[in-house]
Amino acid sequence: MLTRNLFRRPRNKLEDAGANSMARPEIPGQLYASCPNCKAMNPAEELSRHADVCPKCQHHFRVSARRRIALTADENTFQELWPTLRGVNPIAFPDYDKKLVSAREQSNEVEAVVVGECQIGGIPACLFAMEPSFMMGSMGTAVGEKIARLFEYALEKSLPVVGFCVSGGARMQEGILSLMQMAKTTGAVKRHSDAGNLYVAVLTDPTTGGVTASFAMEGDITISEPGALIGFAGPRVIEQTIRQKLAEGFQRAEFVLEKGFVDMICDRRDLTDRIAGLLKLHRREAQE
Amino acid sequence: MFAKILIANRGEIAVRVIRACKEMGILTVAVFSEADRDALHVSLADESVCIGPAAATGSYLNMAAILSAAAVTGAPAIHPGYGLLSENPRFADLCSRCKIKFIGPSADVIRLMGDKDEARRTMREAGVPVVPGSDVVASVGQLREEAGRIGFPLLIKARAGGGGRGIRRVNSEDELERAYLAATAEAGSAFGDGAVYMEKLLEKVKHIEVQLLCDMDGSVVTLGERECSMQRRNQKLIEESPSPAVTPAVREGLLEAAAKAARAVGYEGVGTVEFLLDRDGKFYFMEMNTRLQVEHPVTEMVTGIDLVKWQIRVAAGTPIPFQQSDIKLRGHAIECRINAENPQENFRPCAGKVSLLHVPGGPWVRFDTALYQDYVIPPFYDSMIAKLIVHAPTRAEAIRKMQAALCEMVIEGVDHTGWMQAELIAERAFEDGTYTTDYLSGR
Repeated sequence: MLTRNLFRRPRNKLEDAGANSMARPEIPGQLYASCPNCKAMNPAEELSRHADVCPKCQHHFRVSARRRIALTADENTFQELWPTLRGVNPIAFPDYDKKLVSAREQSNEVEAVVVGECQIGGIPACLFAMEPSFMMGSMGTAVGEKIARLFEYALEKSLPVVGFCVSGGARMQEGILSLMQMAKTTGAVKRHSDAGNLYVAVLTDPTTGGVTASFAMEGDITISEPGALIGFAGPRVIEQTIRQKLAEGFQRAEFVLEKGFVDMICDRRDLTDRIAGLLKLHRREAQE
Repeated sequence: MFAKILIANRGEIAVRVIRACKEMGILTVAVFSEADRDALHVSLADESVCIGPAAATGSYLNMAAILSAAAVTGAPAIHPGYGLLSENPRFADLCSRCKIKFIGPSADVIRLMGDKDEARRTMREAGVPVVPGSDVVASVGQLREEAGRIGFPLLIKARAGGGGRGIRRVNSEDELERAYLAATAEAGSAFGDGAVYMEKLLEKVKHIEVQLLCDMDGSVVTLGERECSMQRRNQKLIEESPSPAVTPAVREGLLEAAAKAARAVGYEGVGTVEFLLDRDGKFYFMEMNTRLQVEHPVTEMVTGIDLVKWQIRVAAGTPIPFQQSDIKLRGHAIECRINAENPQENFRPCAGKVSLLHVPGGPWVRFDTALYQDYVIPPFYDSMIAKLIVHAPTRAEAIRKMQAALCEMVIEGVDHTGWMQAELIAERAFEDGTYTTDYLSGR
């Protein structure tokens, strides 16, 4: 066992002290990302190569709407629709304006969903991706409006819709108006579906509340990412209400698959190929 | 000059680098694993940071932790020592992205020389003789064709190889396919790259390497050769400089080839070019090590040049102030790597408390170690615990000095290879300098 300060520091001056003696490291941001599940440090490039899935424990990181679009749409094919459509404070909810400003700053998006038209595996499709860093992808009037419009647009052009859901539910700051979006989006999905168009819903972590109770669960095919939390009320709320311990893995994608609410679970790295395959399989003759 | 350097290594090499820094007035940051809390390098450094658990993968190979330690302590340079991250191009890349000087060549040069197949090709193009062989073999058909051209016996080697893994000896055509498949599988699992190439197996050869020092302005100085043929399972046991088998004419050729190799890749820092030397005095490029070597002290003894200090200086941009003609090789130096292994029990590694330590002394006797009295050698790392180096005007005198020093060295509490080495250097093959790399195999 050696004691600290056992050795004295020699009185040598720094030899050849030039300009570079003042240098200090400058660590760029986003060099590593620590996995919230297994705590492993993943180099940013490696994580990006793995579509933001931890290579060690396969945990699927939450990704932004833009990243989701980049992972899914063929390169340079995404055309955004209604990019400036944004929500206001319709019921003068206290501090909601401030919240919107900070959410916009944080996410670099004006609303919690990005919608547009693109090609996936060479097949034209409409695409929406929700933004988790914008008030946890909550659905207000603007989100409902954009999604409803997208389904109407897809109906008009007879295009399939692929939607990536990530949401905490309806946006409480917009009160009853946000709950009304559930009916509005559902109506749009129904008309799109009645015309024989395909809708593939992809549920990612977390998909809950009013979004689960509307368009997230209305896909012709419902895919989920592994481990995603999917439910209406959160597990803690349920546990406190029914005063019972919930089953292991309750509301996780695997559990929900077993109960028949999801059709398949797909690793994010295979997801685009899987979606492209489904679109190809369901291509309408008119588009051939 | 860097005001502070983080040493991303442990054991004697960390101590060696810290000593050089202390002479140069550079502050030092030691990093250590939980098992190395009481290690000498930790006490000797000005600052120290624990970077993870005992297993090297979580600590000494944990790039994020090491870079964080450099950032926290404000160290603008990292010395990687040897082994661990010293030849990891990704680490070198990450350092440069963090504006930290990796004390070694650029990531591109490390990557190029780490790909043994690419390195061979680069050297062949630069006019450096390489062992007759093939490029990467893609199919069994190509394998047979190339093997016929090279002739048996031959070696199948992994492109990403190192540490003797992914190597298969093939004596005849019947063994070829099986050895190919085995080497590919082993290389695939060990290095994540199953590509292999073939090389003629040269028997009764010597392992000779040339020390290089290159600065940022493109000056290349060679610092004589080292003989490292006394090996057990590709691990060097005794090294000396100069080599008793190298004549002045061969030396001239070797040094020139090594300088050519360095210029071909725009080398920077200290590095070593390894050659195989056959009985006819013909030599072939084997590989280039883009780092400081374990056996660097023998070169320091015969040239009088402190390699670690110069490595740091050229990394900081100091041009080399001397020329090739200024380099004079004086006398003879021998090094024994003292490993905590039991030679009687097939070199079984040994860990535990050093209950008594006596360091051999006297003129021109050097003992590089991180041991101290009552130190507990942890079981997690390489078994080399010390290097004993001697220098004398003649080879015969150096052998005598080594013999005396080995017998004076006392490391009680753990088994070590010291006495076996004392016997080895007394053997005729060592005394007359005729030993080759296969000398210890079959014992």
